[in-house]
Amino acid sequence: MKHIQLHKSPLFLKIIFVISVAIIFFIGGITFKHITVLKKSSAYVSNSYEVNIELERLLSCIKDAETGQRGYLLTRDKKFLRPYHNSGALIKKSYQRISELTANSRTQQSNLKKLQYHINRRLNYLSKNLYLIEQKNYKIKTLDSNFVTGQKAMDSIRYRIQSMIITQKILLKNRQKDYESTMNYTPLLIYLTLIITLILITIAFVKMNRDLILLKNTIDTLTIAIEANKLSEIVGNFGSWQLDIETFKYSFSDNEYRLLGCEPQSFEASKEEYFKFIHPDDLESVKESVKNVSINNAFIPITYRIIRKDGEVRYFKDKGQIVSFSSDKKTFIGTTRDITSEINDRITTEERNRELESNNKELSAFNYIASHDLQEPLRKIETFISRLVSKDYDNLSSSGQQYISSIQKSTNRMRVLIEDLLQFSRTNKMEKTFEEVDLNTLLENAKQELAQIIEDKKAKIENSALPILKVIPFQMQQLLINLIGNSLKYSSQDRTPIIKIDYSKVIANEEELLPETHHKYHRIIIKDNGIGFDQEYAKNIFVLFNRLHNKNEYQGTGIGLAICKKIVENHKGFIFAKGIVDKGSDFIIYLPAE
Amino acid sequence: MTTDYINICLADDDEDDRLFFTDAFDELKINTKVTTFNDGVELMDYLNDEDSVLPNVLFLDLNMPKKNGVECLLEIKKNEKLNDIAIAIYSTSSSEEHIEETFINGANIYIKKPNDFENLKKILSEVVTINWQYHTSGLNKENFLMRM
Repeated sequence: MKHIQLHKSPLFLKIIFVISVAIIFFIGGITFKHITVLKKSSAYVSNSYEVNIELERLLSCIKDAETGQRGYLLTRDKKFLRPYHNSGALIKKSYQRISELTANSRTQQSNLKKLQYHINRRLNYLSKNLYLIEQKNYKIKTLDSNFVTGQKAMDSIRYRIQSMIITQKILLKNRQKDYESTMNYTPLLIYLTLIITLILITIAFVKMNRDLILLKNTIDTLTIAIEANKLSEIVGNFGSWQLDIETFKYSFSDNEYRLLGCEPQSFEASKEEYFKFIHPDDLESVKESVKNVSINNAFIPITYRIIRKDGEVRYFKDKGQIVSFSSDKKTFIGTTRDITSEINDRITTEERNRELESNNKELSAFNYIASHDLQEPLRKIETFISRLVSKDYDNLSSSGQQYISSIQKSTNRMRVLIEDLLQFSRTNKMEKTFEEVDLNTLLENAKQELAQIIEDKKAKIENSALPILKVIPFQMQQLLINLIGNSLKYSSQDRTPIIKIDYSKVIANEEELLPETHHKYHRIIIKDNGIGFDQEYAKNIFVLFNRLHNKNEYQGTGIGLAICKKIVENHKGFIFAKGIVDKGSDFIIYLPAE
Repeated sequence: MTTDYINICLADDDEDDRLFFTDAFDELKINTKVTTFNDGVELMDYLNDEDSVLPNVLFLDLNMPKKNGVECLLEIKKNEKLNDIAIAIYSTSSSEEHIEETFINGANIYIKKPNDFENLKKILSEVVTINWQYHTSGLNKENFLMRM
């Protein structure tokens, strides 16, 4: 997610930049245009005022000419005529100036022409007046009418000028109205575009800020990842290297140097430098592997030895692969792991395995000796004694007869011991094939096996229905034989031996002897009413050669129950014993149901 | 065989066992002719000899020098001339491996050497008087090991 956002943002920022620049250009254009308009209109205003002033001046010139003439007419003093003489040029000048200033307005031009006509008329009358006065015999009447028409022309001039001033004012007003109407929208337009620009810039800022935070977070995460990687390299005893496929430049991580027994970055990372550390016997295969990288872009995992700076030989294992990052850049990354301890462990394990194997072989050889060689002399002793008894018993003295029966007892016991011991070691060694077996059948077989003792002791064996289980059949049968045999052996002489065999399926946490789990177990209890035992010894009775009774009281080798424990353990089950002295004992077997 | 006595052979490297064996037959009131061999090689030489009289029952000890009982058994069963001889394995061991191996390879009965002379006599008389044809047809792993 973060990556994608970072990838997209440059385009977004570019678009905002282009839009902002366009808007600023637009605003600039509009402002320029409006300032030009403003300048024009102010020029126009001053122009208008100048027109008005010139018109007033024109009027005053005419008035001056008129006043001057009047003065002359009254005084006949020629000096009063000077303004009248001057006025011609002044009027012409003013008129020209106005004509220039109003060149743009057709109305004013036509007004001006009319004004000119009236001015010329007025000046005509003025010069006519002068002419009449200079004639000695002028008629007063003519002069009077001349005065009146001149006065009328003067009124027309005043009227014209006034109307021209008004026209000019109207023109000015219209211009100002136009100007105002354009200027009215301008601030709003500029304001709006400015706001849009501001919004865009703000968006861009927010976006950039967010990208920056994202970038910072990414950099933080990366920094942490780099540190974590460094630490894990140290803890995990591995280093890493990189190979740029285009430039064929190597770089090694700090721990890669440490693995070689060097200070981090203490020499330049290159294959030549690295090869110096490799054990001469392994150098060729490493070179081959490196060559493969440049040819096939593949690195086959390789194990080799190096000689560290301090001279210690270590086993390294290298693995590598191509990674492509950002668009199409590719680099080769690899890890080097120091597997010396693993290899040493493996060697030790192999050695131990060999030892164990040879031990096992010795054990089975011992088994064979026990089963065959040891039994053979014993059997012969027994046979010879049996022959001695049958042939020469009567010839022996009574003490000799006593000795013979003692020898018989001892050899008998020895045979039982050897046989039990054999059975015990076989429980270990024999192949353990689990089969679905009906335990009822196994119990029947066990009873048959013990038929003689059961009959001798007049024992009763009662059992609930037993299940069909996946067990090692002959071992399970042996278990039943041993446990029932045990109960028969330690039966009480005061009462008929009753052995009850009970089966039920239970859940572990409901049984006090089992761990608190929800696993299901098959529980088989073998309960007798024999001599029992002190609960204190409950655990000891399963220990090999451990006996609770003197061998003169009860025959036994102390192997039978040890075999039972071993068999139950072979089935991943548990066996427990509970006893009450002179009441009886319970043997409880739990076999896992799943 | 049309002879009026039962021809019996025993291959056992143990001198005492050979003695018990012959003594037992001497005391038994059965008309038998007992021949003993010290090892498997001697036995096979005898059996392969054209002039030899083949035994009705052959007792084979397993643990013998030069050629052991199982090797003899394999050789006999491979040989068409010999594979009709009833073979009783006669061994100190009663290990499952031995019983299994000899049963698979075609022995007829497995006897664990008894530790009582009277027992020995009983077993031998029983084995010698077995109707082998009948016994072999009903042979299985359960009745292969001779129990007294």
